[in-house]
Amino acid sequence: MVRALPVFGIGFGAMASRCEIRLAASDETEAHRLAAFAIDEVKRIEAKYSRYRPDTVVSRINAAAGVDWTECDDETLALFAYADALFAASGGRFDITSGVLRRAWNFSQPRVPGAAQLAPLLALIGWGEVQREGQRIRLPRAGMEIDFGGFGKEYAADRAGTILAGLGVTHAYVELGGDIRVLGPQPDGAPWSIGIQHPRAGEGTIAAIEVASGALTTSGDYERYFDAGGRRYCHILDPRSGNSVDCWQSVSVLAPVATAAGSYATIAMLLEDEAIVFLDTAGVAYLAVDRHGQLHSKNVGSVSY
Amino acid sequence: MQLKSPRSILLAALALPGLHGAAHADTPPERGEITLSYLDYQDRQPGLDRIAVHSPSVSILAPVAGVWTLEASLLHDSISGASPRYHTAISGASHMDDSRIAADVRVTRHFSRGSLSVSASRSNENDYLSRALGVQGSIASADQNTSFTFGAGVTNDRINPVNGVVHDERRHTVELMAGVTQVLGVRDIAQFDLTHTDGEGYFSDPYKFLDIRPRSRTENTALLRWNHRFDASGGTSRASYRYYRDTFGIRAHTLSEEYVQPLGGGWTLTPSARLYSQSAASFYFDAVYDPVFGPPSPPNFQFTPGLLITQDQRMAAFGALTLGLKAEKKLGADWVVDVKFEDYQQRAALHLGGTGSPGLAPFYARTWQLSLTRLW
Repeated sequence: MVRALPVFGIGFGAMASRCEIRLAASDETEAHRLAAFAIDEVKRIEAKYSRYRPDTVVSRINAAAGVDWTECDDETLALFAYADALFAASGGRFDITSGVLRRAWNFSQPRVPGAAQLAPLLALIGWGEVQREGQRIRLPRAGMEIDFGGFGKEYAADRAGTILAGLGVTHAYVELGGDIRVLGPQPDGAPWSIGIQHPRAGEGTIAAIEVASGALTTSGDYERYFDAGGRRYCHILDPRSGNSVDCWQSVSVLAPVATAAGSYATIAMLLEDEAIVFLDTAGVAYLAVDRHGQLHSKNVGSVSY
Repeated sequence: MQLKSPRSILLAALALPGLHGAAHADTPPERGEITLSYLDYQDRQPGLDRIAVHSPSVSILAPVAGVWTLEASLLHDSISGASPRYHTAISGASHMDDSRIAADVRVTRHFSRGSLSVSASRSNENDYLSRALGVQGSIASADQNTSFTFGAGVTNDRINPVNGVVHDERRHTVELMAGVTQVLGVRDIAQFDLTHTDGEGYFSDPYKFLDIRPRSRTENTALLRWNHRFDASGGTSRASYRYYRDTFGIRAHTLSEEYVQPLGGGWTLTPSARLYSQSAASFYFDAVYDPVFGPPSPPNFQFTPGLLITQDQRMAAFGALTLGLKAEKKLGADWVVDVKFEDYQQRAALHLGGTGSPGLAPFYARTWQLSLTRLW
């Protein structure tokens, strides 16, 4: 009879989030050795796609907006192809050029920007107008910006998971700031029980979801926000109006990979009243909390990807 | 704007590099490695210690800019002992000393669904110079579960034996390889490779008495590998079968198995076994003492032009068994030390489905190797 391997949790900070890798390994040294490969991958993606560092491909593309083309490598082109799919599937609501709205929305002050402030920024949004040619990309208007903040963390969780799987790790999950990619169940075969943060009760949870494989991610209105005039203004902004969405407190989605799960959750937030139809059509399991605190869920607890 | 099917998001995510088919994606290495190794080899036949080889080597693997890998190694062999002798006779085992320096370098460019590498190598002894160039590519299916590998290589050898039997002889070899690797689920991966080699030039052994081999050799090899992971123990089995045939008339089968078992405390233990059997070359003769020529000669030997003949042990019909054990220990996050022992025995009696070449003396070899690897 072979003893089940013990589970170790290795915490680290990346992408402005608290992160953790939990995995079964023969001992703590081995667990750290394995986790180091995954953590390196997360840091690689963070360094490569940061919009805060001047030397990254994202910064170079943005700096050349309205002026010049920028050469991209295959990984970056693949991320653009994914951005295309999100743009198309969301009717243009998931737009990686919408980050310019941050110039009007400052969540440290409870101030709702007016139409006059938003109009010039809305003119800078439009993934559909971005020019691409072979390996090159060009933002057509000066001031335009792209960023991969909308799915970079989820992509990193998946890539880190891929690396662990390649090292033979089968009982593990990677959690990057609440986005979780699960490689396999606990060593005894039981699924991991993952808490869903209560959108209004700080550290409390609203549900626990059993996940044996696949990914679980949550998008919510409680990360960066302010309350004013009896409603919540959160960081998820509709690129068509420039306004904050106001329909869901949080949407959690289970999907085979974190990149897709995170995109489903974010698009559901953006689609507001159409979210449930969208999630049902997508065929994913979800748990959504509406603006009144009511739960809407499907297949949660019984699914295993 | 009309919404496209939400399901397209999942398909698009799975198309991202490295998100699916995790076990098999041909991703560039994440960390560099430098390895120092020392190999000690000794072979013997009954009553005679033959060749001893002491071989320090250094190898380096460096990821560059995320999409390139540079690999290089340098090795020095010092070889001493009895020269390769006729397989049964004791006489004629003169002493030899030689040394060899070998270097190779490989550069690989990784793409989202494959890789392309170019390699070059050079090996130099006082009587032998070998230079090789190769190119290899792989491409994976969109789901990364199937990958195809293609390779081509050329080798040019120059042979200048110290005994002057031949002068500046050459051998030119072209190799073509194609393979497919298939992921069969989370626990199993299978691989099938075919290799075809065409060689022209000098294949004889200049240090052997009466060794005249054809000036061309075509070799074909089929290799089947199967790796299986056991959930209960966390161990991995690596099994393979190789079939080889060439125009010298040699047919060979190799069956091998190794089992990698991670243990606690950073230890990994890998026992291995390999069973090998080959038929003799068509121009191989079992030697006897000839009353005229003395040391081993084929029975009723008469020299005629165009004659092909060898008595080289490696051209005989025999079988061989290799047993090995490797112990590896990780020291912290950056260091790995491993020691490997292999015991090899070659006997006519181990020949599959027959007794093998009669009168072939058993041959034994053992190898120790100690390696230290630093990850960075």
